[in-house]
Amino acid sequence: MSTSTATGRSLGEGWRALRVPLLVTGALVLGVIALMIATAARTSGPFSPDSTEGSGAKALATLLENHNVKVTGTEELDDAVESGQGRALLVGPSGNLRSTDWNRIASAGWDHVILIRPDRDALDALAPGVENARESLPKGSRAPDCDLPAAVKAGTVTVRGTSYSAPPSAQACYGDGANHTVVRLERSDRIVDVIGSVQSFTNAELAQDGNAALALNLLGTHPELVWYLPQYESSTFDDSDDEGGEPLIPPGVRYVAWALAFAVLMVALWRGRRLGPVVPEPLPVIVHAAETTEGRARLYRRSRARDRAAAALRESALGKLHKAYGIPRRAEPTAVVTALAARTGLDPAMLYELLYGGPPVDDAALLSLSDALQVLTQEVEHP
Amino acid sequence: MVVTGRAGVLAGLGVVFVALLMPSWSGIGVVVGVVLLVCVVDILLAGSPRRLQLSRDGDTAVRLGQQAVVSLLIANPGRRVKGLLRDAWPPSAGVQDPPHKLDLPAGERRRLMTHLVPTRRGDRKAYRVTVRSIGPLGFAGRQGSHHVPWTVRALPPFNSRKHLPSRLARLRELDGRTALLVRGQGTEFDSLRDYVPGDDVRSIDWRATARRGNVVLRTWRPERDRQVAIVIDSGRMSAGRVGDAPRLDHAMDAALLLAALATRAGDRVSLLACDSAVRADVRRPAPEDVLPSFVNALATVDAELVQTDFRVVVSQVLERLGQRSLVVLLTGLEPAVIEESLLPVIGPLLRRHVVVLASVADPRLDELESSRADLIEVYAAASAARSRLDRERVTAVLTRAGVTVVDENPEHIAPALADTYLALKKAGRL
Repeated sequence: MSTSTATGRSLGEGWRALRVPLLVTGALVLGVIALMIATAARTSGPFSPDSTEGSGAKALATLLENHNVKVTGTEELDDAVESGQGRALLVGPSGNLRSTDWNRIASAGWDHVILIRPDRDALDALAPGVENARESLPKGSRAPDCDLPAAVKAGTVTVRGTSYSAPPSAQACYGDGANHTVVRLERSDRIVDVIGSVQSFTNAELAQDGNAALALNLLGTHPELVWYLPQYESSTFDDSDDEGGEPLIPPGVRYVAWALAFAVLMVALWRGRRLGPVVPEPLPVIVHAAETTEGRARLYRRSRARDRAAAALRESALGKLHKAYGIPRRAEPTAVVTALAARTGLDPAMLYELLYGGPPVDDAALLSLSDALQVLTQEVEHP
Repeated sequence: MVVTGRAGVLAGLGVVFVALLMPSWSGIGVVVGVVLLVCVVDILLAGSPRRLQLSRDGDTAVRLGQQAVVSLLIANPGRRVKGLLRDAWPPSAGVQDPPHKLDLPAGERRRLMTHLVPTRRGDRKAYRVTVRSIGPLGFAGRQGSHHVPWTVRALPPFNSRKHLPSRLARLRELDGRTALLVRGQGTEFDSLRDYVPGDDVRSIDWRATARRGNVVLRTWRPERDRQVAIVIDSGRMSAGRVGDAPRLDHAMDAALLLAALATRAGDRVSLLACDSAVRADVRRPAPEDVLPSFVNALATVDAELVQTDFRVVVSQVLERLGQRSLVVLLTGLEPAVIEESLLPVIGPLLRRHVVVLASVADPRLDELESSRADLIEVYAAASAARSRLDRERVTAVLTRAGVTVVDENPEHIAPALADTYLALKKAGRL
């Protein structure tokens, strides 16, 4: 009979044991989160003023800062619809703002609005008369070909991509005559620039031709520049109107996904819990007795010790033959060969070479020697 | 704390609920809340596994390959405990049962049986008893472990038992006690008796016949009451695996057969397992106690990865044996070790006793030597041939020194050693 003692920890003991690790882990996680918030860029993605990738525009933003233009990157629509008196607004190329949003931006009173590759809604709201041209311009250096001072000073610029047709009142530059990549529309209260060639101002291509000069001339008109990158979810269609039609993903899916995650967690807890701890087993050492012999075989092979191998095989065969034919152990080689020849009827010279010859010259010779010895001894072993 | 599949299913139904009825954060809150509430209630209602009182009873020793039964008595002073119980042993204890189903109402007791078929020799200790108590709703429960100590000793299997009857028959023949009327072949004069037709005429004692007037026969019997010391080398030479068991296990098998035979022959047997220190030591047990005490002592001996110190072995043996005895040394026939550490110190032993060295040969070497299909195998064959030649050389050296060497494959070592013993007995060399 033997009696039991409960193992494991009670709730209080468990808490005391877990307290310190939990506190340390919590502090670490909080620290990392704080660090991420402190250092995180406010914007990201293509043409972001914080992105250092080839498609980003950190170079341009830094250049503007160096020329005393305060650049404020944002992804919030609210920053773009506040009063823009005395400031410039840049609207990035992505996103899907609705026409209502564009109208709000238009009525916010910005002194200077720069639209990067705008769509139809944006043009209707902010640059009436400018149309999106069907064809895009091939990449190439182009002269300004217009009177816009900013473009004339910058000179030749590498442009490509979307182009726009401008009304006669506008100044249109860097195009093929009909379609242009830079269009400036001046009204009494506001200047609107439409720029189709996004790539020209990215980190990758800013250094080419007069790209940087043109960008500075166009964007650096006011001491403050709000750099707005619209995001896909920043549109306000959910709250205001229903004209947007069905969204691509039903809104309930995310809740179903969360519920599913909870169900998966419960199943994982169910399947993952072991019935008691794993039992340790003191294992014996397993050494094959023939290991040293096999190791020596590998050494023979690696050093191509044909002489030693042949000697061992011959000695072994001789031992068996001595025993089988009753030849004295210390007999002279010639006597052994004579006796063997008499018993087996083989050629004495061949037998002598086989049993007392020199080491084999190559691998094939070793193989044939081994075979011959085996044939010789097989008759003895299996009469 | 544990949850069951039901909790998973409930959470899965929650997904459907969220998808169809409440696709919102509050819907998820409802699902999580309901599942957690049910689980917490179940955990609170489940009986406590920690309060169970467990005790063990049953077998403490089992021959390797046979089944031991250990019972576990569980008393429940608290609330009803329903769920699973796992009696955890190390894998080599060979637990046969899946986790037991347990349903123990308050205040009752149950006895559960755990069947063990150990796969290795030695002591197997019970590890933990883990009880998972599921609440009345079946969604969640508690889990706790108990330490209920028990040890089952797996004894050496003594597979060579099957050779014992034939050797005992040979022994009786030697003894002159067979049903056949043959002359006892022993060397010790036993007694005189009257001639019975059929007796071997060579045994007639003519001098006594002349004195008595009727034909008198002289009977012989083998020597009795000799000492046999079996020494098992538990060092690294015994660790090598031959076939599917280490040399040590084959050596134990041979030692047990020899001990059984020698005991029946009237000799007194003692046992020593030794490497750099003594691992098992049985000194001259009573005849009926020889086998039990030997298997018990050998059960926990394992090959140590150290070089056997033969000075220790020799001094231990000399200390134990007074009169001229038979010393059987079960070790490996490794030329370098034998020549460098055994031969220099074996002198005193050889002067006073008869020494037999038994070694388990590896049949793998014969395989290696006989298969020569390609270059790799030829080199292996050469290496195996060299090993065999070395063994033969050291065997010759030992034989010249006066040691009887038995070098046989695992399946033959035990009967070969028994035969050697019988031959020595017949020759009157003990």
